[in-house]
Amino acid sequence: MAPIEILDPTVEPRQQPLTYVPRPDSLKGKRVGLVENTKFNSDRLLHRIGEVLINEYGAADCKMWRKHNASVPAHAEIIEEAKRSVDVIVAGIGD
Amino acid sequence: MTTTLASKRHVVADLGQAMDLCYERGWTDGLPVVPPTEAAVQRMLDAAGLAADAQLAFITNRQVAVTAEKVAINAVMAGCLPEYMPVVVAAVEAISDPLWAYHGPATSTGGAGPLVIVNGPIARRLEINCEDNLFGPGWRANATIGRAVRLVMRNVIGTLPGLLDRGTLGHPGKYSYVIAENEAESPWMPLHVQRGFKPEQSTVTVLAAEAPRQWYNQLSSTPEGVLRTVCDDMRHHNSTGGQPQYVLVLAGEHMRTIANGGWSKADIQKYVFENTQNSIAHIKRMERMAGAVMPQDETTLRPLLAQVDDLLVVAAGGRAGAFSSYIPGWGGGRRSSQAVTKVIQDRRA
Repeated sequence: MAPIEILDPTVEPRQQPLTYVPRPDSLKGKRVGLVENTKFNSDRLLHRIGEVLINEYGAADCKMWRKHNASVPAHAEIIEEAKRSVDVIVAGIGD
Repeated sequence: MTTTLASKRHVVADLGQAMDLCYERGWTDGLPVVPPTEAAVQRMLDAAGLAADAQLAFITNRQVAVTAEKVAINAVMAGCLPEYMPVVVAAVEAISDPLWAYHGPATSTGGAGPLVIVNGPIARRLEINCEDNLFGPGWRANATIGRAVRLVMRNVIGTLPGLLDRGTLGHPGKYSYVIAENEAESPWMPLHVQRGFKPEQSTVTVLAAEAPRQWYNQLSSTPEGVLRTVCDDMRHHNSTGGQPQYVLVLAGEHMRTIANGGWSKADIQKYVFENTQNSIAHIKRMERMAGAVMPQDETTLRPLLAQVDDLLVVAAGGRAGAFSSYIPGWGGGRRSSQAVTKVIQDRRA
């Protein structure tokens, strides 16, 4: 029986540079952005995290944004304002 | 159409090894696949009039371009006939539409699958089932078109169960979830015409959807009586407390009863919209909305649907049996994901 040649159904990964912003050595004096995903209690959880970052880690202040809904990325206005006004971001999804 | 297929090749000794290789590489949905040879893939592309390198979709959050070649390979693997390829292509275009919002429904713990509703002449030509055993097995087109879409999601976009598909439960429709509307017997305007297309056009309407819920009413001979039952079921569904779109699939007996009462699809939509509302107090007591029950909550009604045409009414299913079905969409509402209708194009010159 002759061999069979089949085609690969997956996408070969494209080479693309992907780098993270270096993590700060300390949060002291840093402005913290909190991105809330609209799920129940996510705002309370993030507020609490913000308080901890200020009181225990010396962050300067906190500011919160709310996404349109949990399943979409943060919208452009959030990204643009965050770039201008905070040094670090805390985001996540909580169910 | 001459094209060069760019995908990586794998050579194996025989058919059995080819199928095993697909399992070993994680390219299947758990069922065996048809090994995608170059000749079979080329037949798929030719039937749709597509160049191999044509980009059909771009999934933003994954930064993945979906080419005709990859869709054709996965359609062969799913067991599609070449003439199904334009339908698969239209469905892939639909799930990549920003309104369908791929990332949410594909990834969510909510476990939705893409429900593909086919309208227009192609549904009859390809014998896409719209009658008995509507959601069940037995029809090649229904079984393989949806399977091809799911394999594209898995193999091309990377929506792998347990990784980027985090459905808590999922449902059997995630293997394949394709139906056609029974336009030949329906007394109503077809779904695609309601959504702004011409009767002679062929379309897919794709909704991120949960599993179908069957309901029964053998007692009533009026539209109100039949629909009262499904409204009772739907009102208590209210899955995540959001307002996604819903599909109402009316099979033969219910279709005739409602049509004999002189009701149009618009009448059905209006009745269901008005009769599936819950009080805020009830929603809170059932733990689907946070907060204490306030006095005004007892009399404040919240519609299950954000608006009347968020109910997609489809005539389909067997002629016998007083059963029909409703299918909840996924997510919290229109900003999460919406049904998208695309024309099934014949791109052959």
